[in-house]
Amino acid sequence: MSNTTSLPTSEAPAARRLPGDLAIWVFILSEMLVFAVFFAAYAFARAKNVELFNEYQQTVNRDLGALNTFLLITGSWFVVRAVQAAHRDDLPAVPRNILLGFLCGGGFVVVKIIEYAAKFGAGITLSTNTFYMFYISLTFFHFMHVILGMVILAVIWVQARKGAYTSRDAHGLESGAAYWHMVDLLWIILFPLVYVMR
Amino acid sequence: MQYKSQAVAKPYFIAAIGLFVGQILFGLILGLQYVLGDFLFPAIPFNVARMVHTNLLIVWLLFGFMGGAYYMIPEESETELFSPKLALAMFWIFLVAGALTIVGYLAVPYATLAELTGNSLLETMGREFLEQPLPTKLGIVVVALAFLFNITLTVLKGKKTSISIVLLLGLWGLAVFFLFSFYNPVNVVLDKFFWWWTVHLWVEGVWELILGSFLAFVLIKTTGVDREVIEKWLYVIVTLTLITGIIGTGHHYFWIGTPEYWQWWGSIFSALEPIPFFAMTVFAFNMVNRRRREHPNKAAVLWALGTGVMSFLGAGVWGFLHTLAPVNYYTHGTQITAAHGHMAFYGAYAMVNLMMISYAMPILRGRAANSNKSQVLEMWSFWLMTVAIVFITLFLTAAGILQVWLQRVSDAPLPFMVAQDKIALFYWMREWAGVAFLVGLIVYIASFFVGGEEKQA
Amino acid sequence: MDMLKNPAHRAWLVLMIATVITWYLGEVGAAGTTAIVAMLLIAFVKGRLVILDFMELREAPRMWRILLEGWLILVSSLILLAYWISLK
Repeated sequence: MSNTTSLPTSEAPAARRLPGDLAIWVFILSEMLVFAVFFAAYAFARAKNVELFNEYQQTVNRDLGALNTFLLITGSWFVVRAVQAAHRDDLPAVPRNILLGFLCGGGFVVVKIIEYAAKFGAGITLSTNTFYMFYISLTFFHFMHVILGMVILAVIWVQARKGAYTSRDAHGLESGAAYWHMVDLLWIILFPLVYVMR
Repeated sequence: MQYKSQAVAKPYFIAAIGLFVGQILFGLILGLQYVLGDFLFPAIPFNVARMVHTNLLIVWLLFGFMGGAYYMIPEESETELFSPKLALAMFWIFLVAGALTIVGYLAVPYATLAELTGNSLLETMGREFLEQPLPTKLGIVVVALAFLFNITLTVLKGKKTSISIVLLLGLWGLAVFFLFSFYNPVNVVLDKFFWWWTVHLWVEGVWELILGSFLAFVLIKTTGVDREVIEKWLYVIVTLTLITGIIGTGHHYFWIGTPEYWQWWGSIFSALEPIPFFAMTVFAFNMVNRRRREHPNKAAVLWALGTGVMSFLGAGVWGFLHTLAPVNYYTHGTQITAAHGHMAFYGAYAMVNLMMISYAMPILRGRAANSNKSQVLEMWSFWLMTVAIVFITLFLTAAGILQVWLQRVSDAPLPFMVAQDKIALFYWMREWAGVAFLVGLIVYIASFFVGGEEKQA
Repeated sequence: MDMLKNPAHRAWLVLMIATVITWYLGEVGAAGTTAIVAMLLIAFVKGRLVILDFMELREAPRMWRILLEGWLILVSSLILLAYWISLK
């Protein structure tokens, strides 16, 4: 990839560098804007229905939510280790850590499916009430992002196994990693907001 | 011109411009009927003029898309078109079918047309934008399939670039979503669902892919920026378009008997529909600023930048104005919608076609770019039409706000026609802006016939 | 403790502990102004660690740090505002 993709940062070219591609960051920011609107919509809709939200928030599975936070944070941590490994040219460690990150994502998916199975099994739908509308919408939209993140991790894993990422050029790896961290970042807000805060 | 078969684009472009003129003439008739209700009655009643205005729009845009695709695909795939003969045959079939349909609209009452064309066999007529009689609808499917067949085989036998894949995705989507127009359930809410799956998923989904792909092609050609960079932007734009556009369909499900969650989903995701358009604007300016060479065709670059800005304003900002469920509760189906429709269609789809024509036509006529004199004239037409559409939009927005107030918000709401009378002044101003638009269009056509020093191909 | 020289490892440890605290606050049924502010503060600190040490924006062009951290401030403030309204 050429350096034409990074922003013009004339003052300190070496020190101040945006990891990954400009395009992926534009994408990440757009996605984060979507979630910002969604989070704010939840919070303000709650302000209008405090009792309802407080009552039904008690019925979601906080333990599984916390477990999933662990999984995403750890998954992110493995991917950081992959990027660091690429930067110091420890090539075998790159795909290994990406794979571990991917497995954490897989764990998240399994836990989420267990959680959904219980809720949908109890006959809960988008139309049950406003709290559950938001609970399902927000977590499911985030769930889709976890899946997309895992697809991206799978792609960079294949590349990493071919030794594509080194200290000279880790652009693709950094781009994929940035997206994966975004998935983590969003959950870090989502978990307290939907599962705990009252 | 790099490939001989690209020449089939030329008749498509000419037909597109011809139909564009027809669309504007009917627009002016229609605009006048808003203030002089009896104008041309009973020869051309309001509902017929409106139908012809919108149908001509869609048909000329489709001609433009097809022409653009026939021009672009051989160059991207680095191979001749699979079958130029098929492309020409389809051109004539589509043109004749289109002309017959318009004649049908004008010659007989709509109900008679429905009876004559076998609407009773499969009831598809009578819905806005999809008024075409059954034979025309079937004809569109045949033409679209033959066109896709031709284009797809060309891509398959040649080089597969991201730009042509995105274009194919857009064109296939266009054809597939048109199939929903054949299903017209009796239940009015369901009917709306299927209707929007054609109309919305076209203009706020797959057409945007066509737009992005054309824009990327012309920017590569005129700026000389690396294909890699342009493709990355294209991926981002495509993904954002699909996320916001598909779920954003929900903004059409407000207050029509659908579950309440659509008000949230529709509001949130359609509020974000400006993002891909904004990305397109940033993309166009960014690439032009980083250009590696000065392309002689300045007019095409102007159209490229123009479509970025105007689609963001028209589709993005004016769409957002009335997309939130509580706002739409009041503004649904008022002149606010008309304001948005005018600027969005012009800014996104008319302009991207004009950009493609502006870039390709000189090359099809054997030169890299038109003479300076001709380009100056074309740029004049750009500004005339663009400023005119801005004024049309502003006047309609003013009319819409007043209409919402008088007819829906105020303590003593007025009946529809009474409210219409009170906003007639804005309709008159809109009509004059429309005349200015026509002048711009005439200047545009004149620019094709201006000679002078030409730049070598 | 050599491991903790790496900012990413430090961040991971803090993030895990912070998550346990949030979960624990939920378990004991913490509610009201103090609990809300505490949880938002924890989420803010966690988000900032992800942005700076996982996304590695600490050394990125200032604009990108401002954009991402600005997002975090914006989201937290909006949530705080809405919860403050709900408590009134």
